[in-house]
Order: sequence, then C-alpha cells, then structure tokens
Amino acid sequence: MGENIKISTKKVNVFYGDKKALENISLEIPEKKVTSLIGPSGCGKSTFIRCLNRMNDTIDICRIEGKIIIDNEDIYANEIDPVLLRAKVGMVFQKPNPFPKSIFENVAYGPRIHGLAKSNDELDELVTNSLIKAGLFEEIKDRIHEPGTSLSGGQQQRLCIARTIAISPQIILMDEPCSALDPIATAVIEELIDELAKNYTIVIVTHSMQQAARVSQQTAFFHMGNLIEVGRTDQIFSTPSQKKTQDYITGKIG
Amino acid sequence: MNSNLDKVKLSLIKRKREEALFRFYGLVGIISAILFLIIILYSVISQGQKAFFTTFIKVDVYFDSEIIDPENKRNSEDIQFADFGTIISESLKRKFPHISDKSDVRELASFISTSEADNLAEFIVKNKNYIGESKIMWLLASSTIDVIVKNPEMEKLIEEDRLISDKQLDWLNQIKSNNELKRELNKNFFTKADSTEPEQAGIWGSLVGSFLTLIITLILSFPVAVAAGVFLEELAPKNKFTEFLEVNINNLAAVPSIIFGLLGLAIFLNIMHLPRSAPIVGGMVLALMTLPTIIIATRSSLKSVPPSIREAAIGLGATKFQSVIDHVLPLAIPGIMTGTIIGMSRALGESAPLLMIGMVAFIVDAPGSFLDSSTALPVQIYLWKSTAARGFVELTAAGVIVLLAFLILMNGLAVFLRQKFEKKW
Repeated sequence: MGENIKISTKKVNVFYGDKKALENISLEIPEKKVTSLIGPSGCGKSTFIRCLNRMNDTIDICRIEGKIIIDNEDIYANEIDPVLLRAKVGMVFQKPNPFPKSIFENVAYGPRIHGLAKSNDELDELVTNSLIKAGLFEEIKDRIHEPGTSLSGGQQQRLCIARTIAISPQIILMDEPCSALDPIATAVIEELIDELAKNYTIVIVTHSMQQAARVSQQTAFFHMGNLIEVGRTDQIFSTPSQKKTQDYITGKIG
Repeated sequence: MNSNLDKVKLSLIKRKREEALFRFYGLVGIISAILFLIIILYSVISQGQKAFFTTFIKVDVYFDSEIIDPENKRNSEDIQFADFGTIISESLKRKFPHISDKSDVRELASFISTSEADNLAEFIVKNKNYIGESKIMWLLASSTIDVIVKNPEMEKLIEEDRLISDKQLDWLNQIKSNNELKRELNKNFFTKADSTEPEQAGIWGSLVGSFLTLIITLILSFPVAVAAGVFLEELAPKNKFTEFLEVNINNLAAVPSIIFGLLGLAIFLNIMHLPRSAPIVGGMVLALMTLPTIIIATRSSLKSVPPSIREAAIGLGATKFQSVIDHVLPLAIPGIMTGTIIGMSRALGESAPLLMIGMVAFIVDAPGSFLDSSTALPVQIYLWKSTAARGFVELTAAGVIVLLAFLILMNGLAVFLRQKFEKKW
C-alpha cells in the first residue's frame, strides 16, 4: 500500500500447551494507520494481538514460534526486555480496567514507573495532555481526584486510552475496546481512534464488521487460527478474494 | 401440550415440598445453634459476673500499740513485721464480745482475707499517727465468706457441705443485719495475677502475658507469611517444587497445635535454651502455628483480585513485581488483614502449645518483659478450673468472659477493617 511497515510478523505459530492457536501468520501492519483484525470467536485474533506486546508471556503454557519484527527488531529476541517493549506498544483491553485509584493516579502511574516526568508540574501537564488527547478532559476536569471506577463505562475506556497514551507509545493495541460499551460510547471511541491514527499505529480487534469498516484502513480476516485474507478495508468488504471471507462478511459463518 | 403442563404441575408440587423441607431443616439448625449459644453464654455469664464483684466487711480496726510497736520506737522496719493478723482478729472479736474460745477466734478471723494483714501493715507504716487509735475500715472478706454471700442458697445446706460452720453462719448473719457488709467491684480481679486465695487472684497477669505473646506472634508471623504468600502466588515459578510447598503449607494449617508446642519445646527450649514459660517463646510457637493460616489467607485474597488489574499494570510496562506491589497487594490487604486477625484470635485462644513450653506455671506477678515467666488467658482459665477451692469456680467463668470479650473485639476489628479498606472496582 506504499506506507512504512511498522510491524511485520513472519510465520508465527502460537501454542497453548499442545493446542495450536495460531498457524503460520505472516502479516504486515502499516505505520500510523488503523488495522483491524476480524473473525469469529476463537479464531485467534486476540491471541495474535497479545503477541505484539508479549502479553502472552504471562501465560505459562503459551509458546510462540516465528518472528515478530517491530522497527527492524525481533521482539522475541533474547535481548529484548518485554517491559521496555510494552512502553512502546501500549494496550487497551476489552473490559475497561481502571485501577481503583483516582483518575489522576490512573494516568500518572505509567509515567511515574517509567520516570517520564521530572517534576510534579511536568507530571500534571502530561496527565492533562493525555486526558485531552483521549477526549476525556472536558468531562472530568473538576473531578480528576475522584476514583476512576466512578466513571461511566465509556469514560472508563477513554481513561484507559489516556493511561496508555501517557507513556507515549508508538503502537496502541486495542482488544475489542467497545464490546462492553453502548452505541453512543462506541461512537465516541471510534472518533477517538480516527483522531489517534494521525500519531499512532493502531491495531484493533473487533467483533463488529461495521466497526472495522468504519475505523480501519487495513483489515485482516482470521479463521480457525489461520490468516485467511488481508487487504485494504474497502477491498475486503466489497470484493474479498477468498470464499471464507465472503461467507463471514455476509453472515454465513461466525 | 396440556398433558405436559400437568406433568410440570405435578413435579412442581414435589419441588416446592423439597424446598419447604430444606428451609425447615435450615431453620431447625439455626435455632438450635442459637439455643446452644444462649445456654453457653448464660451459664458463663451468670457464674462469671459474680467474680467481678467481691464482699467487704466493715470493721472498727483498733491499732493496738502493744502489738504493733510495744517499745514505742516508731521504727518502720519493726512495724512492718508486726502481727497484723492479731490486730484483725482482736478487732473482729470486739464485734462479738461473747467469743473467747481460741478456735472460735480463729474461725472468726477467717472471715477476712489474709491479704488484709499486709495491707494494714502498709497503711500503718505510712500513717504512724493511727498507732493506738482505731479506724473504721472496709476489709476484704475471704473467699469462703464471699462465696456464701454471693450464693445465699448455700446457707440452707447442711454444715458439712456449706464451707462454713453453723457458728460462722450466725456471725455472718449478724454482720449482715448490722449492715456491715457491702459488695464492690473486684479490683483484684482486674489488677492482680494468680494467687492461691481466690479473692486475691486476678486476670491481669495472664492478660499481659497473652498480650506480650501475641505481639511476638504478630511481629514474627505477619511479615513472613505475607512475603511467603506473595512469593508463592505471584512470583514463584509454577513447578513441582512450589506445588509440593503449597500442599505442605495447607497441611501445616491442619496440624494439631500441641505438635507446634512440642516443636517449640524441642527447639526453642532444649536446643536454643530460651527462657521457659516466657512470652517470647510462646509467641514464637504461636507464630509457627499462625504462619500457614496467614499464608493461605494472603494467597486466597491475592487470587481474588481480578486479573484485569494485573493486565492493566503489565500492559503499561510495569514489571511483575511492580504490578503486585502497586496494585494487587493493596487490593488484597483487607482479606489479608481479616485472615491475620482470625489467625491471631485463634492464637489468643490456644492453650495446648503453651502448656508444652511451660507457660502453665503458678505466677503471682504480671510479666514485665518478653523474657519474664508468664501465663496466658486460656492457660489461666485451665489452671483455675483445675484448682479445688470453691471461689475459683466463679473466677474460671469470669476468665472465660474476659477471653470471649477479647475474641469478639478482635473479630469486630476484622469486620471493621474489611469494610473500611475494601475497594470496589
């Protein structure tokens, strides 16, 4: 498609114990674009996205083969520290999961552990900026020291996005970020994703084909642990080359 | 379709009957539990409350200078060792001028606690101007008199079963009708340690002993157990060895407490030569016993913290350790504290391991340090229960009340802490 490639995976296989969850995934993800991963439940799209920031490391029985290259570095190479990687590849989860602390503390936690702010003023500014970028600041500026858990579901999810932005990642992974939200909150998040795509490479897993069509420039279709088809979003939804993709987007499988 | 509904109706009757039966069983269970609780509390409190009060007798004490200071030197050393027992019996005798027989005098003198002779000596050393004078004083009655006053039904018993003779009963009734008897708060019970005389025995010594013991237990077990729990649950690799540890820690929680006592006897006393009967050793033994309880509580409260919190922290680039210390552990604290307090209240009520390391001695002073000889609350109750004198029956029940009060206090604290620190997410 002519853009810089940010992430490229080469023949990635993932196993949970003896069970193969992903088979031979080779995928290129362009920089500062939104790539959506679609497919029926259990197709491996969440497993794949969690490989990109090595979240799967926390699962003991999970084993990964193949190469995942981000900025010309194999992130599964021995010398790569997963903690450092996660500062570069942020993640937003399916269910909003703010810490049971104040809104400020939620956003300040990442910068604080990474030592990103030299002074309290700098930290304040960083938190405010992150909240502004996540489109949350105007709504909560008077109650920034109230618990993050007191916000509505959509606000909580934007708080989680602000928390991720605060550590200045280059890539943001979103694992079904709207599946627990109502349509209005979903629309707000989708707008936000559009806005964020100017500065960040975004990979989003979604159940909703409409959402994929609305927010992403590239779409990858997963089925039973295989990558069936990947291409420009408009192409995938109008003229898919594979029968399975056709079946899925027309509702015959999944 | 209709026949199907009929079947459902039929089975519904059966299901409803089963439900009603189950409710009934549950109700019977709860009611009988409450009933037993009431019986226990009633019997303990009705006995024990008697020990919180004690009897005093009004005596016009004549400090005879012939007995106290015959040489008129006013020397404190000599006065201190004067025969104040005779002062008391002579003063009592003046209440009953017709008594002259020596054995009668002795029976009369036994109305007053033997501790009062020392108290009078102390009083006179400080107030020498009373020598040769008389003063109306309320003297502590002996335990036998106290028991009869508190249990009037005993007066109707035959002489052999009554603790006091017919003569003594006559005198007692005379004192009573002269209004020379009063009941007051039993200060000795709350301020003294053990004694051979029930009216002089108190719970304070064993309370201090229990307190010192529990401090040691808490200091030793809490940090070690929480660290072990966090390590095993969050940081340790899951392999055969940690599985083995896990099984054994669960087993340790079920080991009878007396085994820990034997371990303490063998290691702390016989090998390490720590002082016998001391709160420090008691605390160490109880810490061993409490460790597995707190480890298990720590692990289960860590487990109940939702994984989404861990993922959030890890996803932001926190290390495993940071995610535990900054987020998971604070959320687990209420559960850990509840488990700790439950473990501590079990330690407070434990007597068997303390018997093994000698905290069962007869000790008349409250311990002043962790190394002094001491008893503990449950052991004191056990000691009093096995003492023959009638006055200890009430003391035993009163000791149980004090122990129960502290257990309720600790469990109340656990509930309070749980509600105060519990966070919603």
